[in-house]
Amino acid sequence: MFGHLKAEDFINLIESAELPAKHRSHIETCAECRSTWESMRSVHAEVEALETDVPEPDWVQFRSSIRDELFSRSIQRQTAVRRWTGWAIRPAFAWALSIVLAVGLTTAGLLWRTEPPPQPSTPTSEPAGPEEASLDFIDAGPQPSLFDGIVALGDEERERFLAMLEAEQKEAPDQK
Amino acid sequence: MTLGNSDADAELVERYLAGDMTAFDELMIRYERQIYRVCYRFVENREDAMDLAQEVFIKAFEHLGTFRRESSLKTWLYRIAMNHCINHVKKNVREFVEVTETTGRVDASVHSQIEDREQREHFRRLVKQLPPKQKAILEMRINDQLSYEEIAKMSGRSVSTIKASVFFALDKLRKLVKDPSLKKAGS
Repeated sequence: MFGHLKAEDFINLIESAELPAKHRSHIETCAECRSTWESMRSVHAEVEALETDVPEPDWVQFRSSIRDELFSRSIQRQTAVRRWTGWAIRPAFAWALSIVLAVGLTTAGLLWRTEPPPQPSTPTSEPAGPEEASLDFIDAGPQPSLFDGIVALGDEERERFLAMLEAEQKEAPDQK
Repeated sequence: MTLGNSDADAELVERYLAGDMTAFDELMIRYERQIYRVCYRFVENREDAMDLAQEVFIKAFEHLGTFRRESSLKTWLYRIAMNHCINHVKKNVREFVEVTETTGRVDASVHSQIEDREQREHFRRLVKQLPPKQKAILEMRINDQLSYEEIAKMSGRSVSTIKASVFFALDKLRKLVKDPSLKKAGS
């Protein structure tokens, strides 16, 4: 049959005392909808009767337990924050830590700067002087130096070159 | 001049956020019973309902600073309660265990009371067979007398959906009353 009531119509009918004329005339003529409406109205009343059965707790205690829990959580949060930002709350500790870090970093920097350069891969006949080390540190470029030239000589050439240097050095005091 | 509910709530929230603990008590007195009842609708047990309501209020008070007043405080609290209870029910799905214990003899004067109580208990068991959300919506509407608009806002559904939900709940109960052999509503 056409024109049966919809879910929303039943709810409106159950909950309002006044029935719209259109719905009233349908309910009067449709046994199916009338039966549904009456049984639903009865169930609705049964649900309403359950209302009184909700047991009440002790509200003062209920409130108090919530207040305590909120307070406890607040303390836990503050403790956690202090743990992470403790150095800001304890200035003496913060200052000490800053000084130790500053001294430590400065010392490490200085040590690193004065560290000797790595040994050349080809061994030299004479140890490198302090000037050589400092020059190497400052100018790490690929330009060849005089000492590189000596290292590159053959054994015979090097012997001759050194003998020549010695002869030059012996003559020099005589000239003075 | 008296403040409207929303204005009074807004003032209480401001006072609570400013550290006024008397505002806490006032807010609790306003809403504790309503929120507890919503929780009770889901679990049908005083202790569990108290635990749930307590968790709802703790959650609400801890996030009160984020309450943006797009809805009323009541709607906001109910929404937290409904979501919390639905999650709780999903996590703790368990069969309803019926425990009846009768000892000794009873005289005629209390017999009719017991019959009434038994009938009511029987109906309550039928109501418990409804899906938790549907049951909660039905009871919020009928027992707590919340408007459809309020329930719709709380549950994030339309008014028509809530009306349909109430209808289907009543229809299921009607069928269960007629045919108690149906074990589960909707089955």
